[in-house]
Amino acid sequence: MSIKIGKKTYAERIQAGIDNAFMRQAVSSAQGRFRSGRLKAAEDLGDWEEWRTRGEEIRSHTMENLDYYLHQLSEQVEKRGGTVYFAKTAEEANQYVQKIAREKEAKKVVKSKSMVTEEIGLNEALEESGCEVVESDLGEWILQLDEDPPSHIVTPALHKNKEQIRETFAEKKGYTGSDQPEALAAFAREQLRQDFLSADIGVTGCNFAVAESGAVTLVTNEGNARMVTSLPDTHISVMGMERIVPTWEELEVVVSLLTRAAVGQKLTSYITALTGTRLESEVDGPEDFHLVIVDNGRSKILGTEFQSALHCIRCAACINACPVYRHVGGHSYGSIYPGPIGAVLTPLLDGYEDHKDLPYASTLCAACTEACPVKIPLHEHLIRHREIIVERENMGSKAEGVMMKGYAKWASTSAAYKLSTKMAHTALKPWTEDDYISNGPGPLKGWTDSRDFPAPARQSFRSWYKQREKRRNDG
Amino acid sequence: MRVSLFITCLCDTLTPDVGKDTVQLLERFGCEVDFPQGQTCCGQPAYNSGYVKESKQAMKQMIRAFEDSEYVVGPSGSCVHMLKEYPKVLHDEPEWKERAEALVHKTYELSQFLVDVLDVKDVGSTFQGKATYHPSCHMTRLLGVKDAPRILLENVKGLEIIDLPLKEDCCGFGGTFAVKNAAVSEQMVHEKAEHISETKAEYLIGGDMGCLMNMGGRLRRNDEDVKVLHIAQVLNSQ
Amino acid sequence: MTIHHRESFLNNIADQLGRPRRTEVEPPEYSVQPQDRVLAGATADELVDVLDKQCEVIHTNLEKATVETLPEVLRTVLEGYDVRSIAAAAGPRNEVSGLDEFYNRLTGEGYEVHVWDEHEGRHNVEFAERAGAGIVFSDLTLAESGTVTLFNDRFNGRSISLLPETFIAIVPKRTIVPRMTQAGRLIHAEESKGNPVSSCVSFVTGPSNSADIEMNLIVGVHGPVKATYIVVEDM
Repeated sequence: MSIKIGKKTYAERIQAGIDNAFMRQAVSSAQGRFRSGRLKAAEDLGDWEEWRTRGEEIRSHTMENLDYYLHQLSEQVEKRGGTVYFAKTAEEANQYVQKIAREKEAKKVVKSKSMVTEEIGLNEALEESGCEVVESDLGEWILQLDEDPPSHIVTPALHKNKEQIRETFAEKKGYTGSDQPEALAAFAREQLRQDFLSADIGVTGCNFAVAESGAVTLVTNEGNARMVTSLPDTHISVMGMERIVPTWEELEVVVSLLTRAAVGQKLTSYITALTGTRLESEVDGPEDFHLVIVDNGRSKILGTEFQSALHCIRCAACINACPVYRHVGGHSYGSIYPGPIGAVLTPLLDGYEDHKDLPYASTLCAACTEACPVKIPLHEHLIRHREIIVERENMGSKAEGVMMKGYAKWASTSAAYKLSTKMAHTALKPWTEDDYISNGPGPLKGWTDSRDFPAPARQSFRSWYKQREKRRNDG
Repeated sequence: MRVSLFITCLCDTLTPDVGKDTVQLLERFGCEVDFPQGQTCCGQPAYNSGYVKESKQAMKQMIRAFEDSEYVVGPSGSCVHMLKEYPKVLHDEPEWKERAEALVHKTYELSQFLVDVLDVKDVGSTFQGKATYHPSCHMTRLLGVKDAPRILLENVKGLEIIDLPLKEDCCGFGGTFAVKNAAVSEQMVHEKAEHISETKAEYLIGGDMGCLMNMGGRLRRNDEDVKVLHIAQVLNSQ
Repeated sequence: MTIHHRESFLNNIADQLGRPRRTEVEPPEYSVQPQDRVLAGATADELVDVLDKQCEVIHTNLEKATVETLPEVLRTVLEGYDVRSIAAAAGPRNEVSGLDEFYNRLTGEGYEVHVWDEHEGRHNVEFAERAGAGIVFSDLTLAESGTVTLFNDRFNGRSISLLPETFIAIVPKRTIVPRMTQAGRLIHAEESKGNPVSSCVSFVTGPSNSADIEMNLIVGVHGPVKATYIVVEDM
């Protein structure tokens, strides 16, 4: 996979999303649960705004000093017997992991959930070099069996129902049980246990690396990441270069924010901090550890007005709060990063050409900004993207450009504006019935296809006001 | 106290009655209301669509129009918030930025002005009926006006307010979004209209004409018998 | 070579940030400190109550014992789970708590008990894989979240708390602290003194779970399905 998923146009994807009744029902109910979970967790904790401030300060300090902290991290990992590979591009990262797999003569690679490996297409790269790759997160495993991309960054198979999952298990793995979630999960447990035990390499992402000690922290609920890092002899962790904190004291804060904002838990079942290789006296854990630090377009964001997009801790709170996501689902974004953060991040990482519609997939209601536990001004980033799309990339539609030039003239002198308020009622009269327009011309059509538009008043406010003043002065 | 009314282009053209009620309401509390004729549109349609250059022309016109005002009060959280953004948008034009800042300091949304500046909690109005209130996104999240409308409405005699399910969800207006992403906007406003119907309210009250026009347009299309009112209309009702 | 392409990578970051490479950074001064207020001033008994309550949320059974009653309580727990094979952590705390002796007794009664032994290598993992329960000591217990912290090491292999279906943690009462803040601070202090952190720190909060299928909470996925904490008053 890569950042971009699918070949459909934006309009086609949106329509497919809107037409997918099950998905929409699932997303809407998930959003409700995520939202109440997040709000309750924040309330239980108390002082949520202060926690957010602390989170923002941690993330912005770390980003401002990213070179320093990555250097420190790499020194610490080396000290603890690990190898660090700095990869500028997805290709470099994949080639390095392929090289390790070749050296280990690895046949089976077992993975825990990781967005960055989705982003760089690591699975495909490993499969090309002859490895069997097994995703072990329940949601990811379902998607892998079904060859479907994730639609959410925390619950990737949100768009699938249990009947579809049962069918997939039956078809691909010979499952004969019911569609009860517990039965499906028990089947996954039994199947994947064998994979954990027989894998040559375990691949994980990294929620947060801790610079001071060289630890890679994984935040999970299912226990698969612990399997992946305890049983195979080699552990490769792939991290986006921004996923780092200075010390354990900062780790504690961002983890507390992440688990609450993501799933409303105080802590997830497993927060696992892994440092280097296992010690000589230890029996389980990897004897060989590699940390792959990936740029893949991130450094271009540093030093720009979008820098705070790198503060993201991938909790999906913005996705869960977004009313647009609610109605169109994750696949509509055409990116492995959906929702508001996806609409901000995707054009930055993968360019505007394929993703120029994403910044407009928002009403700018700012529910995302309000939900973000590290205070990323997501809706402001979306506005800035729109400015770049129009002014720098020149990708705005011609008609809109002409209209906006007209707008500027109209709104910059009171004379033109006044005239239009006078004319509006008459101009739209042919379409008006009972003071409403239900089948409007030109740009109004998009509106009136689904709702009525109030006809301009016979007399504008300003002309009423003028008359009133006149009456008063005369009287 | 001298107050300049910032009417907003939507109210000016489509719902002048809201402007009339706003004027009367402010006058009732002793404000001397004027209407600077130079005002046009706050610039938001262009700004939010990425046409920042174009939006700046509107912004400068608005700054000029309200330069001599003591207070600027508008019946819209969204448009007032846009005014508050001017210094940021004009950051690379120091002279305009300074003039924009002066405007920011004296500008208020109507309910905010009543509660925070005039210290009014009960406007002494009477309005018979069951209503539900939609707290618009820009008013609450961006301008930070959450309590003022609620306080004022609670004190209207005869008015029963029914809580709107998922009230903090956007109605799907989003300015040009409603046209550019019409299909998504339709789904959003449809869901909102359903929630409004669920309340069985006779009236839908809000503080932003754009959102009200959106929800009202959908309710009308759905043949729902819910009347849409701007909060100024309710507060000025005797 | 164990670090690849670092210099060009980090130089690029510094360039993008518009400044030279930084080789020294002052620890930041944060404007707020909300984490210190959580359960501030709570007594040891109050922390146990918080832990007790949180255990309900995380589908974990909590028992209380003293050093004297621990074997008895543990036996009841094992019987409750109908477990006959046990993987247990090693180390001096087994002796202090009398578990050494208890495990011997269990063996005599036909239980299969394996206490982690680094010299037996992979056999430890294989045993844990088929064991019914894994028993470990909590090194630091976070009351707020109901979390036992395990500094996995030569005595406490990662597999014990991971592979068996039932997870049992012995929680000495004095290991209970308000929240993860105290754990982070402790590890940070040790790191600063030059004492490196354990190769695997596991913060374990109840049994494993997932909500990946239609957002239904399923307790017990890859890791343990059931969990019990035994708080030992005088340990």
